[in-house]
Amino acid sequence: MAEPIKRKDFLWIGWGALATFVGGATAASVRFLVPNVLYEPSQKFNAGPAKEFPVGVSTLWFKKQRVWIIRTEKGIYALWARCTHLGCTPNWFLDQTRFKCPCHGSNFSTDGDVIAGPAPKPLWRCQVEVVASGDLVIDKATLENRPGIRDKAPYFAEV
Amino acid sequence: MSDTPAPTPSPAPAPAPKPAAAPQFSVDTLIKEATNGQIWKSMFRNWPWQDTARHRARHIVDNVWLHLHPTKVRPRALETTFTWGLGGLSFLLYLLLTITGVLLMFYYRPTVELAYQDMKDLQFAVSFGIFLRNNHRWCAHAMVTIVILHMVRVFLTGSYKKPREFNWGVGVILLTLTLFLSFTGYLLPWDQLAIWAVTVGTNMAAATPFLGNEGPFANLLGMKINNDVRFVLLGGTTVGANTLLRFYVMHCVLVPLVTGALIMLHFWRVRKDTFSAAPRQPDEEKVDVWPHLVVREYIAAAICVAFVWFVSVAFDAPLEELANPNVTPNPSKAPWYFLGLQELLVYFDPWIAGVLIPGLIIKGLCAIPYLDTNPKGVGYYTWKERPFANAIFMFGIVMWFVLIYIGTYCRGPNYFWYWPWESWLIHKPAPPPTWSFPLWLGVLSIAGYAGLGMALPKLIKGEIDWKKANWGFGVFFLVLAAAMKIGGDIEAWRIIVVGALLWMTFLFGFLYPQRYLKDIDFMRYQIAQSLNLMMMAVLLKMGLRLGLDVKYVLELPQFNLNI
Repeated sequence: MAEPIKRKDFLWIGWGALATFVGGATAASVRFLVPNVLYEPSQKFNAGPAKEFPVGVSTLWFKKQRVWIIRTEKGIYALWARCTHLGCTPNWFLDQTRFKCPCHGSNFSTDGDVIAGPAPKPLWRCQVEVVASGDLVIDKATLENRPGIRDKAPYFAEV
Repeated sequence: MSDTPAPTPSPAPAPAPKPAAAPQFSVDTLIKEATNGQIWKSMFRNWPWQDTARHRARHIVDNVWLHLHPTKVRPRALETTFTWGLGGLSFLLYLLLTITGVLLMFYYRPTVELAYQDMKDLQFAVSFGIFLRNNHRWCAHAMVTIVILHMVRVFLTGSYKKPREFNWGVGVILLTLTLFLSFTGYLLPWDQLAIWAVTVGTNMAAATPFLGNEGPFANLLGMKINNDVRFVLLGGTTVGANTLLRFYVMHCVLVPLVTGALIMLHFWRVRKDTFSAAPRQPDEEKVDVWPHLVVREYIAAAICVAFVWFVSVAFDAPLEELANPNVTPNPSKAPWYFLGLQELLVYFDPWIAGVLIPGLIIKGLCAIPYLDTNPKGVGYYTWKERPFANAIFMFGIVMWFVLIYIGTYCRGPNYFWYWPWESWLIHKPAPPPTWSFPLWLGVLSIAGYAGLGMALPKLIKGEIDWKKANWGFGVFFLVLAAAMKIGGDIEAWRIIVVGALLWMTFLFGFLYPQRYLKDIDFMRYQIAQSLNLMMMAVLLKMGLRLGLDVKYVLELPQFNLNI
């Protein structure tokens, strides 16, 4: 006849099992809240013929795709119009050549660098590519803001 | 009702007192008939009503809605100017919000395509829809206001002191939940105000240390845009369909349930901890809750309901244009009670302004009853017996409302500073360039501030003459001002801003604790004084930014530690 289980051990097992169960159920509930499939629109879009963008800041796709397309003498890059502070959409001010965020007053240069306000990082640049047809394709899911890297392909396209 | 055999006024059909018209239909006899029947008596236990002490007590005890009250209270508790009825009114507004909220749910569908259209329907097509929506909105604003005032009242009457410490903490959580209920409700109209207030709010969550993908130490737990705390809150990477549904469920079910449960706990503790501990008067006698207290509650409720109904008829709740995730309104402002927080976001890194400071405020408020060892001033308003506690607490509250005032009236397009009398059409020049302290100076400033701030009040044992100290500060300020004027050619108003905030820090961060705080025990002193110094540091930093264009005192971008 085996030794009957001790009261102390029984309680340890009992409480342990309960804690495991509650912990597991909580973890499962949290995991349940993380969706596996998203129905968000694609982050990639065709911005039309690259050559047709004039030198300077273009707000052509600003309202529809939330990007500014900026053409310099050498080529094109695209800034994602999402403030790096808390995600508001800044506005372009041509007379002061800067982007200003309406939420907490961050200002950015046309390079995307912070020139005023609380934003901690430069604006993100999107991946850009001039495809065979000459169209500019912009991917907002691939982003970069480090000087040096952001000025080269695939975040900068020569036109 | 066997124990009180009613002196049945027998509604006898038999010999009527007046033999005139036999089947006389009067309202009085009808009421008598009805209230003597079995149905009525089964519904109301304490029947027939007699105006005796016993019946007045049983009216409270036998009624499920009233039995939260004691049967008798001290006459003090009836004085309107003691409680102002604020706790009861908070609960009343919670009930009104439940009723109006449930009614609105009959028409509102929480989807991106339909939500805004349903709001418009409620405004223009549904009978009384606009009134209900206004009522719901203004009740929410009123509830936030009254819950805050309730907290101030409980503080000033010392009603959080032993044995009520825990219930104060429950109250602080209830205040937080009230704000969270408002915040989740803000998204539901799906207009521009909604989506941008929630975008900013949830991006603060993304800046949480460890758990948010943009916060410090995000890499340790492998947080990315699609697995962090913000992603769970939004149900996606941006404010979208999932977010609307999640906030709807939280707003209508989850948070009200938790709030309701905590309200029950709060009330239960109020009863168990006993009501009002004011010193007893020599010949004090308790009075019956029915009718004295209950009638006062009804009157307060009636005034409150009349007020929110009047406001709901007179003023329409705002509804901006349809939410557009690509265009942010300019300026974009949160609801008024969050504008203090939004103002802080201008001066600090998001995780400090949006996570650390609110977290410390909540924890600091909860800690108050455990830090305040002064046994005096319980159950009555007194400034003399609690000079430090009252001064610091009221300073914090006033500061919070000053921040709200700035956010509401002094911030215009691009979140620039516009005075209330200035037109927003004025084109403001670009803000002056900001500068940060070099690292060594930043570390030195913060270490010096914390070290001296903690040590000095404890080290100086003697009594400081405040008059002399303030004159001394005045002289110091004049020297400083002269140095700033000559050395940096700084405008006068900037010097005054910096000087005023330095003086406040001198007063509340040094003089007050030196006189009133230095004698409490070591642990309590450490916690209380560090909370105090942090509050003053927030102000000082604002002064440095507004006055001297200092971006950050300490800049450690590796850890997003920008103060």
